[in-house]
Amino acid sequence: MTDVNKNTMEMEEDTQKGRFLTFSLGKESYGIEIKYVIEIIGLQAITEIPELPEYVKGIINLRGKIIPVMDVRLRFKKEPREYNDRTCVIVIDIKDVSIGLIIDSVSEVLTIPEEDIVEPPKMNKGFNNRYIKKIGKVGNDVKLLLDCEKLLSEDELEDLSEVL
Amino acid sequence: MKKVLIIDDAAFMRMSIKMMLEKNGFEVVGEAEDGIEGVKKYKKLKPDIVTMDITMPTMTGLEALINIKEFDPQAKIVMVSAMGQENMVREAIMQGANTFIVKPFKEEHIVEILNKILAI
Amino acid sequence: MVKVSGRNTNEPMLDMFIFETSQLIEQLEQSILSSEKSSCYTPTAINEIFRIMHTIKGSSAMMIFNNISTLAHHIEDLFYFLREEKPNNIDCSTLSDLVLEGVDFIKIEMEKIKNGDEADGEVSQLIERIKGYLSILKRTNISTGPVKDPEKVDTKGQRYYISQDKAKTSIYANAFKAVIYFEEGCEMENIRAYTIIHNLKDITEQIFYMPEDIIDNDDSVEIIRREGFKVYIKTDYSYEEMHKFFMQAIFLKDLELIQLENVDELKQFSTVKEAVVQKNPIKVPSLHEPDKRKKEASDKEINSTSMHQSIISVSVPKLDKLMDLVGEMVIAEAMVIQNPDLKGLELDNFQKAARQLNKITSDIQDMVMSIRMVPLSTTFHKMHRIVRDMCKKLDKEVQLEIIGEETEVDKNIIEHISDPLMHLVRNAIDHGIESTEDREMRGKSPSGRITLEAKNAGSDVLIILKDDGKGLSREKILMKAREQGLLYRSEDDMSDKEVLNLILIPGFSTKDGISEFSGRGVGMDVVTRNIEAVGGSVSVDSILNNGTTITLKIPLTLAIIDGMNIRVGNSCYTLPTISIKESFRPKEGDIITDPDGNEMIMVRGQCYSILRLHEVYKIKNSSTSIFNGIIIMVEHDDKTLCIFADELLGQQQVVVKALPKYIQNFKKIKGLAGCTLLGDGSISLILDITGLINN
Repeated sequence: MTDVNKNTMEMEEDTQKGRFLTFSLGKESYGIEIKYVIEIIGLQAITEIPELPEYVKGIINLRGKIIPVMDVRLRFKKEPREYNDRTCVIVIDIKDVSIGLIIDSVSEVLTIPEEDIVEPPKMNKGFNNRYIKKIGKVGNDVKLLLDCEKLLSEDELEDLSEVL
Repeated sequence: MKKVLIIDDAAFMRMSIKMMLEKNGFEVVGEAEDGIEGVKKYKKLKPDIVTMDITMPTMTGLEALINIKEFDPQAKIVMVSAMGQENMVREAIMQGANTFIVKPFKEEHIVEILNKILAI
Repeated sequence: MVKVSGRNTNEPMLDMFIFETSQLIEQLEQSILSSEKSSCYTPTAINEIFRIMHTIKGSSAMMIFNNISTLAHHIEDLFYFLREEKPNNIDCSTLSDLVLEGVDFIKIEMEKIKNGDEADGEVSQLIERIKGYLSILKRTNISTGPVKDPEKVDTKGQRYYISQDKAKTSIYANAFKAVIYFEEGCEMENIRAYTIIHNLKDITEQIFYMPEDIIDNDDSVEIIRREGFKVYIKTDYSYEEMHKFFMQAIFLKDLELIQLENVDELKQFSTVKEAVVQKNPIKVPSLHEPDKRKKEASDKEINSTSMHQSIISVSVPKLDKLMDLVGEMVIAEAMVIQNPDLKGLELDNFQKAARQLNKITSDIQDMVMSIRMVPLSTTFHKMHRIVRDMCKKLDKEVQLEIIGEETEVDKNIIEHISDPLMHLVRNAIDHGIESTEDREMRGKSPSGRITLEAKNAGSDVLIILKDDGKGLSREKILMKAREQGLLYRSEDDMSDKEVLNLILIPGFSTKDGISEFSGRGVGMDVVTRNIEAVGGSVSVDSILNNGTTITLKIPLTLAIIDGMNIRVGNSCYTLPTISIKESFRPKEGDIITDPDGNEMIMVRGQCYSILRLHEVYKIKNSSTSIFNGIIIMVEHDDKTLCIFADELLGQQQVVVKALPKYIQNFKKIKGLAGCTLLGDGSISLILDITGLINN
């Protein structure tokens, strides 16, 4: 029985491999590994929480579960933009932390073969780069593949540097 | 489905045995946490087979075995023992226990034992 | 709670293992401590400890926690000896030390297991010492007779379920030789062989087997494993029948069965041993007349057994989940009953049904709350061990008295008060209680006394720790505070109570030398912080030379509070109703502003500072004129604050939810205790009064 579980889990992993949910933020198109994505919801009422970085917009009630939402635009230090009816929240789950990512609009789910995924160019101090794990090529388009863990975890480092 | 009664004072052991057996098509009809309760439940539930811990409070597995065998000489009983209990196990066999298993044991072993005893 | 990669089907088993073993360990500890107190191990206690170790041995072996299992095995051996030989010269204190060390080891391993780490503790040294202790005991107690084998049972005169009338025929038609191999790892091969012989006795009396001494010689196990178990029999059964018989053997790996044409092979056994079947009937312990020895030992257990049966254990995460669901149900109910679609409709039957639903939901809520309540007894009884260890190390004498251990508080809170309480008890013994000589000099009883009491006080529980030690000296506290630069006010202005409370401030520690047990640089301030973290408070009372009393006030539960919802701009906040003293609209002349711009308000001749929530939390669209809003006066621990908000929205019971971890990771947001869901599905932030006041 244990083996069966393991097999189906492996199969799931397999079917999820190389699959990305793509979304747009201004002109750029980003991709996020499908295994992190729980669901996509429309924008809903956000309760603001004081004393947090600007990009953490607050918390929302997702069917009784309270999850934080982050404005990815602000996280990437881009210009803020009014939310409209295309604005979406992608709920992701990383290491048992659920968080909603506010983005301009969701595009589609794509399979990007391994050979079309390349390392991002090395830049000495381009901070824009640090949330990008890889770059995927789809036809003539380029998808910036997000490093979700960094999206969440680098905050602590940032906080530290603010203190110092 | 074959009906099993589990007599053991350790909740963990009852749960372990129960999970192992239920996965393999047995029906655990009852659990008892000491000998007295075990004998009572045997009489009430009439299981096809019993797994019986040896060390228990208020009435040991050996005493419960004797009581059950007196009530039903055909009762099928598997003793659950641990290393160091050789003499108790031998005594249990003398008293009519069908066989025994030694902790720690694997799922396939307890299943095999029960099936074999039930086939007799 | 527990994270182990790759465990799925085993999860409930591991949870049960942790649950049951932890319980047994606690029971064991209590048993040892009370035995030590009465400086003797009663047969009941010895038997109990033996049984607990036996159970732990079995369970941990099943879970492949081998070091725990091995340790339990050796302690079991030790108590087996004590139980069977009843040596009268045992060194109680050494025995307790050894077993408690074992208890501690298992506790540490259990902690590792809970955290999903490998239980890899080193135990061989402890085992060697247990073995050493046992062998000394054995050596000094040989006079009491030969040491029996473990688990030996008196076999005399017991009943055998074997057909008894075989003796009449001795001339059998066939002879067989069988060599039996058992599966590897089936254990106790000698007893398996014995089982076969035992079953053969139904078929024939002429049985010979190799090795012969399957019961008494431990080496026979090895021989059977290596060479198989050889059986020679004469019987009327056919080859097929014998084959079928042997195939029924449990854990049979291989069988060689040969029909012997020539019975010579049988004759090589010089001494023909015929299996002797005992015929004397025996007395079977009856269900209705348990013998006296058993009865004494078990009377109490029967009671607890029958109680046990109606109790099941539930994992705390499940309860938390249930609590969440009930909270959601309350919200969903409000959304249905107050649905805007119903506006203006005459719905008599609906309203009736709605009232019924409302009653049931609130009953469920109460019930779930009560499920989460657990008595403080376990936490309190842990202190016995602390007292014992401390007294031993510091060479003091202390009696611990426990009152009101049945008082219940929420499971989550219990987890938070255990450590502070331990710290307080250590402090009391280390710093409070004097040495025996000192006490006698002062005319006190040589043995100190610590009382640990719990009682209900409204929606709070008070935990009072009282010692009859030397008490706290105002002068010493002031001196220390001065040295540490903790004094900000004139000493003469401070009341005794204020001085005593100085010991709760971070950086204060009255003892210069840091002892092993308390005052490791951290002190009472840690206790205060932990207690405040669950919304409680600490206060100190002391009379010099008479003793110190420390009172912890903790809320019954964290999960549901009576809350007052208030509006600030577009945001909703919730205040715990319990801390609200009053609310009012301020009048012009009441407001005072000091040169720094701090606002204050005069109420009945007293001056209180005003906290504008919209300023603190930078909320837009709220009324800024103090005369358009409302002042809510809140109080915590004799401190008062006036909170300014736009309006009161109403009072309701709210389910407290923690803020998401991600948010908490940024920093502890001042003045926020959590959040809750309102009837319309929106979120309200719960204000933490203590945080706001101390801000």
